[in-house]
Amino acid sequence: MTKKTKTGELALSYGRLLVLALLGMMIALPFVWMVGASFKTLDQVQNVQIVAKHPTLENYPIVLTVKPDPVTHKMLNLQYGRWYFNSLFIAVGSTFLQVLTSALAAFAFARLKWKGRDTVFMLYLATMMIPGVVLMIPNFQAMVSLHFINTYHGLIIPAAFSAFGTFLLRQFMLSISPALDEAATIDGAGAWTIFWDIVMPLARPGIIALTIITFLGAYQSFFWPLIMLNNDQLFPMSVGMLNLSSSYGTETNYIMAATVMNVAPLIVIFIVFQKFLVSGLQLGGVKG
Amino acid sequence: MKLAFGITGLIFLGMYIGAEKTLTPPVNDGKVHLKWSTDLNPVRDVQIKKFEEMYPNDTVTIDPSANGDNSKVIVQCATGVGPDIMDTEADTMRSMVDAGVLLDLTPYAAERGFSPENTYSSIKGDLMYKGKQYRFPCNVDAACIIYNKQIFDDHGVPYPQPNWTEEDFIKAANGILHNPSKSGKTHIAYSPSGGVGYWHDELLARGGSLFSPDGLWSRVNSKASVDGLQDYSDMMFKYHVIPTPADAASISSQGGWGSGGMNWFYAGQSAMIPIGRWFICQLPNYPKITGHLGVVQVPRIGNLSSVVECDTRAAAINSKSPHWHEALNFLQYLASPQYSKIVVDSGDAMPPNPKVAASGQALVNALVPDPAFHAPFVAATVSGKTMDDDSPYIDAAEVTRWQGDYVGKVENKLMTPQQALDALAEQINQQIRLNLERRPDLQKVYEQQTGKVYSPDWWKSVNQ
Repeated sequence: MTKKTKTGELALSYGRLLVLALLGMMIALPFVWMVGASFKTLDQVQNVQIVAKHPTLENYPIVLTVKPDPVTHKMLNLQYGRWYFNSLFIAVGSTFLQVLTSALAAFAFARLKWKGRDTVFMLYLATMMIPGVVLMIPNFQAMVSLHFINTYHGLIIPAAFSAFGTFLLRQFMLSISPALDEAATIDGAGAWTIFWDIVMPLARPGIIALTIITFLGAYQSFFWPLIMLNNDQLFPMSVGMLNLSSSYGTETNYIMAATVMNVAPLIVIFIVFQKFLVSGLQLGGVKG
Repeated sequence: MKLAFGITGLIFLGMYIGAEKTLTPPVNDGKVHLKWSTDLNPVRDVQIKKFEEMYPNDTVTIDPSANGDNSKVIVQCATGVGPDIMDTEADTMRSMVDAGVLLDLTPYAAERGFSPENTYSSIKGDLMYKGKQYRFPCNVDAACIIYNKQIFDDHGVPYPQPNWTEEDFIKAANGILHNPSKSGKTHIAYSPSGGVGYWHDELLARGGSLFSPDGLWSRVNSKASVDGLQDYSDMMFKYHVIPTPADAASISSQGGWGSGGMNWFYAGQSAMIPIGRWFICQLPNYPKITGHLGVVQVPRIGNLSSVVECDTRAAAINSKSPHWHEALNFLQYLASPQYSKIVVDSGDAMPPNPKVAASGQALVNALVPDPAFHAPFVAATVSGKTMDDDSPYIDAAEVTRWQGDYVGKVENKLMTPQQALDALAEQINQQIRLNLERRPDLQKVYEQQTGKVYSPDWWKSVNQ
């Protein structure tokens, strides 16, 4: 390799790094601004400087209703702890049930042989093509009929079934050799044993990927809880934070402090499991 | 894997039991529990408390809505479980009435004291649709110009005087922009708050309208309308006293005091802002400008009176509510002096009961104790008008959206005001024809209104 070629490759490599660094900064900037704004007073939030000139920790105890609002001298009308718990509970419940039901459905579509299986699967997949907004009113009507309005069930049960999750896990399960099932069957294993002891452990990357995707989606969900709930004891954080934005104005500094605490678990989960998320999605995407 | 699922399942079960056990069950107090769809404004608690004192058999809980977004109410009403009382905008009200969602208040309003006669005549049109009343105001809004006296003093510019004209406004703005300041700082003369609003104010002041009286034709390209939009364009491009959207974006990125005209004003960088009295709600957060503000009505155009578009956040009742009768109590409460006093004290725009807001002195509160500050808002609300002329043949929300699109084209110099409003009028007229052609119900309205048999070519033989 000539010296000229080496220099060119090096320049190209640095160029790529520079572009990636710029893109990374663009993605990170809103998060950095959010953290910066959580340490500002409301009048400082209007400034574009990321780091506050006179940083304050005050927003956090005010949002946690440990300290009164310095302007009104009253505690904010927030139930931060309860809403935080609700967000986690709804996300854990939705994720647990969705992963379980998706895995069971995926197993039926990938490993069991039954008449009309592929047709049913195609129909199942077709539901993914219908925009969520179109289904909003029928789904809500179903919740009304089931008396699920203003209940945790109304938030968790509709999220317990997912065509996308089934599709993702089916792709994983198709990639596992059928010879394993046959060997297990010869050894006397039934479908249930094959599902739990052979297929599920081997589909672990897909299950972790689906777990992360579902948890993030359920934790951040806003519109469905908004229309389902009017009892503030049941609000998740996303809906509860509406208290900080009204026709009176938006208390951006408090919203940012609340959001920093709210997104912290998501960031931790993402950092810990990002390897599984990427590999899981890649594997699921190539198997047909 | 079984273990992981088992542990997660147990955690879920534990959380479920904990969540359900710690819920406070609803109290069976024998009262009627009304749901009010509104924003989660802190002052709502005070308003509800007073209502419950006045009507001890009723209680109200807020069904929170995202500020300004009606999606929740629409989904709930479509399935018959909407809130009992709901805040609505004028164009949403019309769509909701057409969908059969809102209760006709006309038979009860006069007797209960919440008819349009019990509030400002300037917003009457926004409470009515097809001759019937469907809403009563929670508050009323009419913009004035709030100015920062410190900036005027800094540049040696006299304060705006009552009854000032557009020429006076240009002179004052130029003084702010070009007179050297004592502090050495430069300032923005005027915080823009939306081109459509500016154009509407100009249109109303000139006596213009959006539609012909029969609603069959758009009037947005009338002389009054084009002159109004031309005035707005001149302020940006001829006199350079109102920032264009491009200027605003540039100021926001370079100035370091945030984006949006309101932020510039709160930050003490802008000398004037057109805004309603609700502006004062946030004043405690901005001590730098508190105590240095003056208010004047928007400048007159030539010899015409100062007129602005009045707006209202108003409450309507769900016609399918099992508690609609009790919900009428709430509207009665909104018309009461007690409710209006709460609005006066909290600074949440103008109260719905004009008797409580007859003068600047009557509006004095702890936020702004100066009666002279409040007085122009009284005058602006009394003299204001609503953009209430609408057409039954076209969706009002769609027309509102298109107006924004075409005013945007003028703001970005893609069209002249005449071109933009001609194109807008044509678009509205075409849609009216199309709607009439497609919908037999509208054809019936046409026949009732004109006394003629509908024909797809109706528009060819009609004089606009």
